[in-house]
Amino acid sequence: MTDAKKLQGGKLSEAAAIERAKQGDAEAFETLYHLHKRRVYSLCLRMTANVAAAEDLTQEAFLQLFRKIGTFRGESAFSTWLHRMAVNVVLMQLRKKGLAVVPLEDTLETDEESPRKEPGADDVRLSGAVDRMELQRAVAELPPGYRQVFILHDVEGYEHNEIAGLVGCSIGNSKSQLHKARMKLRDLLKTSRAEKATKP
Amino acid sequence: MTCQEFARVLPELEGGRNFEADEHLRMCSRCWDLVAELDAISQQARTLQASEEPSPRVWNAIEITLRNEGLIHQPGSERPARRWASWELRWLAPVAAMLLLVSGFVLRQHRGGPPQLVARSVQSIAQSQPLVLSAAFQAGQDDDQLLSMVAERAPGLRAGYANDLRAVDAYIHDAELTARQNPNDETAQQYLTNAYEQRAMVYELGMARSLP
Repeated sequence: MTDAKKLQGGKLSEAAAIERAKQGDAEAFETLYHLHKRRVYSLCLRMTANVAAAEDLTQEAFLQLFRKIGTFRGESAFSTWLHRMAVNVVLMQLRKKGLAVVPLEDTLETDEESPRKEPGADDVRLSGAVDRMELQRAVAELPPGYRQVFILHDVEGYEHNEIAGLVGCSIGNSKSQLHKARMKLRDLLKTSRAEKATKP
Repeated sequence: MTCQEFARVLPELEGGRNFEADEHLRMCSRCWDLVAELDAISQQARTLQASEEPSPRVWNAIEITLRNEGLIHQPGSERPARRWASWELRWLAPVAAMLLLVSGFVLRQHRGGPPQLVARSVQSIAQSQPLVLSAAFQAGQDDDQLLSMVAERAPGLRAGYANDLRAVDAYIHDAELTARQNPNDETAQQYLTNAYEQRAMVYELGMARSLP
């Protein structure tokens, strides 16, 4: 509703907004929302590949945050606290819907889903820089288990031991899924470029 | 080390290398290219962080929920008494009508009425009851008045509300176009209902901020 940095003519820092939000200040809540909405929403959108679901999960993550804001003591960064909450909200929702989180076994994907495992003689190079929009589309096409680990690690910066704790898998499984996700993305990007090259 | 052996250990090399793998990479351009491509994908992935913007509906819904739960309040409890101008009273009636109309649609949907009936209702109201919607559009034309009211109470918020009204008007425009092109499409009709609902929510919040 407002430029988060220009409330009543002055800047409201995150720390000040947190303290005021603890007192129930409406504009402080709004400031915190605007400061972090893009990161939380982008995470939800990438994980679910669905706009409506992502908006609902974003809403739920912020509501949980605001309900618990009185308990925030500053031991960790506020953004870390919020982000971890958002990840938990998304993963819980995916589990509720019975959607695959990272499989415990590495061999559950179909032949269509699994990337080529070894470089072969006909392996064509992915030439040129990786375009962000191309990558965004390719990520949406990943199988859910690959997509989750890829987003948590490569997009959001979680380490494998953290991912293992969040999704309930081993560190080795997390590394394996990440590698497969990247290989699959490589395949998808090559296919996409090949299709574009053949179009008139 | 062969390419197959390298491919087997590659997942474990995350962020690091071992001597044998490094030696293989020095000798094998194919594996070198593979690693370079995977690294490029990983690096570009960071640009996807915080790259999307949620619609105004998300904050609207959060704020309403927080108010309903009593978790937020407006700053400054002392407000001077104010009299309602006659134009404000005239303008409130069509907005209230629009809110009632939208809440009626939502209520009907949640009661599980036949989707075709809902779709026809939306269409028939749009076509045969122009007075209610024209009143709503009259209220839409009074955006400046809403913004003036908001600015009077919370000057810093006017620009944000103006942006939200522009965004939701664009949303309504798209939704109307989609609904006209697909008159029997339930999703398109729901999309249109959602668009009106968002506008009603913006007005509701703006009016809440403007009331003493």
